[in-house]
Amino acid sequence: MTDAKTEVRSLDDPNIWVETPATIYDAIPPYPPRTEREAEFYHLRDGEMLLNLGPQHPSTHGVLRVVLKVDGERVTDLDPVLGYLHRGVEKLCEVGDWHIAISQCDPLEYVASLFSEAMPVMAAEKLLDLEVPKRAQYIRTLVWELNRISSHALFIGWLALDLGGLTPLLYGFIERDEIVEMLAALTGQRMLFNYLRIGGVNRDLNHDFLSRLGDWMSRAAVEIEQETRLLNENEIFVRRTRGMGVMTPEMALRMRVTGPNLRAAGVPFDVRRAHPYAAYPDLEFDIPTRSEGDSYARYMLRVDEIRESIKIIDQCLHEMPDGPIMARIPRLIRIPPGRAFVAVESPRGEYACYAMSDGSDQPFRLRISDPSFWNLQSVGEMVPGNLIADTMAIMASLDPVMGGVDK
Amino acid sequence: MSKLHDDEQFEFEILADLCGVDTGTEMWAVYHLWSPRTPDWLRVIVPGLKRDDPRVPSVTFIWKGAEWPEREAYDMFGIIFEGNRDLRRIYMPPDYTSFPLRKDFLLADDSARSSGEGFRHVEQMHQPAENMRQPVIRMAPQLGDNQISTLSQLPEESEAPPT
Amino acid sequence: MTLAGKILIPLLILVALLTVLLLVLWEVGVLPALIGVVADVVTSNIDIIRFLLAATAILLFTIPTAFVIIFMELKVIAFLASRIGPNRTGPWGTLASVVAGFKVLAKEDYTPTGADAAVFTIAPIITYLASVLTLLVIPFAPGLVGLDMNIGLLYFFAVSGLSVVGLMMGGWSSFNKYSLLGGLRAAAQIVSYELPLVLAPVGVIMLAGTLSLNGIVQHQAGWFWDWYVFQQPLAFVVFFIAATAEGNRTPFDLTEADSEIVAGFATEYSGMRFGFFFFAEYVGVFVLSALTTVLFFGGWNSPIDPRPILDFFHVTINGAIDLAGMGIWLLWAVVLGVPLVVFLMTLVIWTFKSGWSFVKSLVVAFVLFNVIAAAVVLIWAFVSFEVVVGLFWFMVKAFTFAFVFVWMRGTLPRVRIDQLMGFAWKWLVEISLVNAFVTAGAILVVQQVTGR
Repeated sequence: MTDAKTEVRSLDDPNIWVETPATIYDAIPPYPPRTEREAEFYHLRDGEMLLNLGPQHPSTHGVLRVVLKVDGERVTDLDPVLGYLHRGVEKLCEVGDWHIAISQCDPLEYVASLFSEAMPVMAAEKLLDLEVPKRAQYIRTLVWELNRISSHALFIGWLALDLGGLTPLLYGFIERDEIVEMLAALTGQRMLFNYLRIGGVNRDLNHDFLSRLGDWMSRAAVEIEQETRLLNENEIFVRRTRGMGVMTPEMALRMRVTGPNLRAAGVPFDVRRAHPYAAYPDLEFDIPTRSEGDSYARYMLRVDEIRESIKIIDQCLHEMPDGPIMARIPRLIRIPPGRAFVAVESPRGEYACYAMSDGSDQPFRLRISDPSFWNLQSVGEMVPGNLIADTMAIMASLDPVMGGVDK
Repeated sequence: MSKLHDDEQFEFEILADLCGVDTGTEMWAVYHLWSPRTPDWLRVIVPGLKRDDPRVPSVTFIWKGAEWPEREAYDMFGIIFEGNRDLRRIYMPPDYTSFPLRKDFLLADDSARSSGEGFRHVEQMHQPAENMRQPVIRMAPQLGDNQISTLSQLPEESEAPPT
Repeated sequence: MTLAGKILIPLLILVALLTVLLLVLWEVGVLPALIGVVADVVTSNIDIIRFLLAATAILLFTIPTAFVIIFMELKVIAFLASRIGPNRTGPWGTLASVVAGFKVLAKEDYTPTGADAAVFTIAPIITYLASVLTLLVIPFAPGLVGLDMNIGLLYFFAVSGLSVVGLMMGGWSSFNKYSLLGGLRAAAQIVSYELPLVLAPVGVIMLAGTLSLNGIVQHQAGWFWDWYVFQQPLAFVVFFIAATAEGNRTPFDLTEADSEIVAGFATEYSGMRFGFFFFAEYVGVFVLSALTTVLFFGGWNSPIDPRPILDFFHVTINGAIDLAGMGIWLLWAVVLGVPLVVFLMTLVIWTFKSGWSFVKSLVVAFVLFNVIAAAVVLIWAFVSFEVVVGLFWFMVKAFTFAFVFVWMRGTLPRVRIDQLMGFAWKWLVEISLVNAFVTAGAILVVQQVTGR
């Protein structure tokens, strides 16, 4: 320590960590790099700077920390650091029983939480080989599509907000608020619905919900058109998003991107068609696909998906069968040992669950594979070479929800 | 695995899931693959990994998107994927010593099983690991010796500074 | 004792003591002599005194203007987004910006660790000065100009360029990479948009023949088609775009893009220092919209020239009131007439609104009487004084442009830094140069044709 004062220090010296005001706020971690990628990333060439898009930031969708290596304004590399929202959901699911897992898994995708609730529910049904009544299937499809619309409306708002427009956010929230109020009339909750049960749904459709739904459906298509009109042809918006974050189909498959991101790159993979579940085999709908793979295509694709969802809701309402809404299952479920894999198409991609049960009332392993987790990896391929401002635009166009990324 | 991916008969394009499982006696690595040919997923299980030193070859050379799930499996179970260029902890802090999703890591309020181990892991969280450099506190040259900054309040040997 | 009490009661005591002192001095005879001395000093240095008064008035003027523009921004953007905006503080939320100003004053004012304290403190002051000093040359009304320089426009551009210095100092001295990025972006943006901003009014200067803003406004007297916007539409468009970029307003607000670099150069600022940056921006909005109206929209000229109409109808409006001629009847009118009129109005209201008590209708009648009296006085002032007319039209036009700035903020997303610089250097500079050449050519041609 005493002879350290006379020597010239450099941050490359692996034995000494010098604590100065500059280094407190620097993003270089204070331990030697543990992997090759870390070494390659934290080695700064001449003129490069590490910029920490920290966990508290108005634009990272949730608590995400991204360390950007920038050269002036151009990003050369990026390293997302996760874990700020990690709640240990999988471990908690193992501790409680299958019903508790529903409310544990709810906040994994808090924007459209019925999809994350579906995970333990559908996994348990597959393990039990349970036949869910038709009416429950149709109700589930209906509320899933409503959630999809509300999530996409929010996506439009966030994308515009990250690019600087203040009003499309509020337009997205108009749609989302109406849908969420509807679902509150149905389930009792606005956001984390806790509505799906193993074997069906919790409550039947009531008059309040149906009247609000009918009211909304009569205006929905026109409202969506009007609200997206502000951004569709907007010169500034188009120039900010077209050609940004281009994903080729090969790259998309290699990075295992799913959902609207994959379909915008040209690969027509949709879990609702590939592995039909619930009422989807009986419904007629198209899968919108675009081929450019840039942010603008992802935005337009989600607007198309909203229209498709409105069609699906229409069909669900017309073809809703009568019947029980929940299968008869005992209150305490003991599932025979087995393994099951289910997947649904959430607004972000393929939301998958791999469940193992060991015969007791607690799940042995409930692995939730969240689409935002896989989608977010692709920023490492898409962003370098663009400017810092585009980092936000590209991340916003992938629509990540940190609840799922950091289980 | 690459055979499954490249073979035209199977054409398993999409890796649907990659996870680790701890069955109490041994560890598995489980992969789910999807192909446009078959109507269902294919589950590939790599069983028999030893609890002490589980090693599996990585699939990141086929699907670069498998990097983070392998990091997660390493973080939660300790399974080391050979060939993954970036195998570090993804959810837990970098100096965390244990692997949370293993069956011998018990939560503090897990009353069904004994709760001894859980507590110990929670307390260990604040000790830095051995490979962390100890920070050296030195006054920045422009402050001068008689000026106090907040740095001087920290003890000499302390934990790694937050990044 | 409440806080208001602690302030008001000593204030009232002070005022009472001051009145007593003045009366005593008046009786003693010292006061008239003092007044005579002061009058002598003032009349001999009338220029300096006038300048000091103008500067003080301008500094005081910026605060309510900033409040009005902030309120307009909150409400207009809210209405654009199908919201309501602040409606609880004050009637229809009008005190919201005042409360925001007070909040800015009340916050903790700190200097971050590692920041260069002197530069950190001075930066917002320089930015604020750059915005406020430009108000000195803007003609608000005929005769209401801070200082009528004959190089007014040049002074304006010179001083408004000082804001770059302030932003750079703020960005660099906060010990923060985000601030640095914001400051650099700000410097690049403002410097590159100075060129179109300065080159676009060159056409206007050539048409008016003077750099003095007062002169430019006087050359646009008459009907609205005499305004320079109809003679220089391209220059107006270029100037308005450059002004949006100079004022760091959307779509060019990447220096404070709060979804990318949290507040740009102002990330580390809080309290009154941030208040200075905040005010500087809104005063800048007002200044730029004022300049737009002065250069292109006729300044304080009204769109219609009433003299031809009045001459046509052989009507002369003479607003002079001969107060001395009314004599004692003035006293009777004020002392007796006002309560009588208020009482009559109270009776009328009380009769027709049966649910209201007498006191309530009295209050309503009093307020109504005040409103009507104020309106009558305003109309009289409008008719008889040129200053009031000019000020009214100037404010209407300036705030219309401020509204357009706010409207753009609520509607448009942001452009990227490279798109922004490309736009300035590749398009705006060329267009403004072409405009200048074409104007010069046109003036020469017109002079040849008509001068001959």
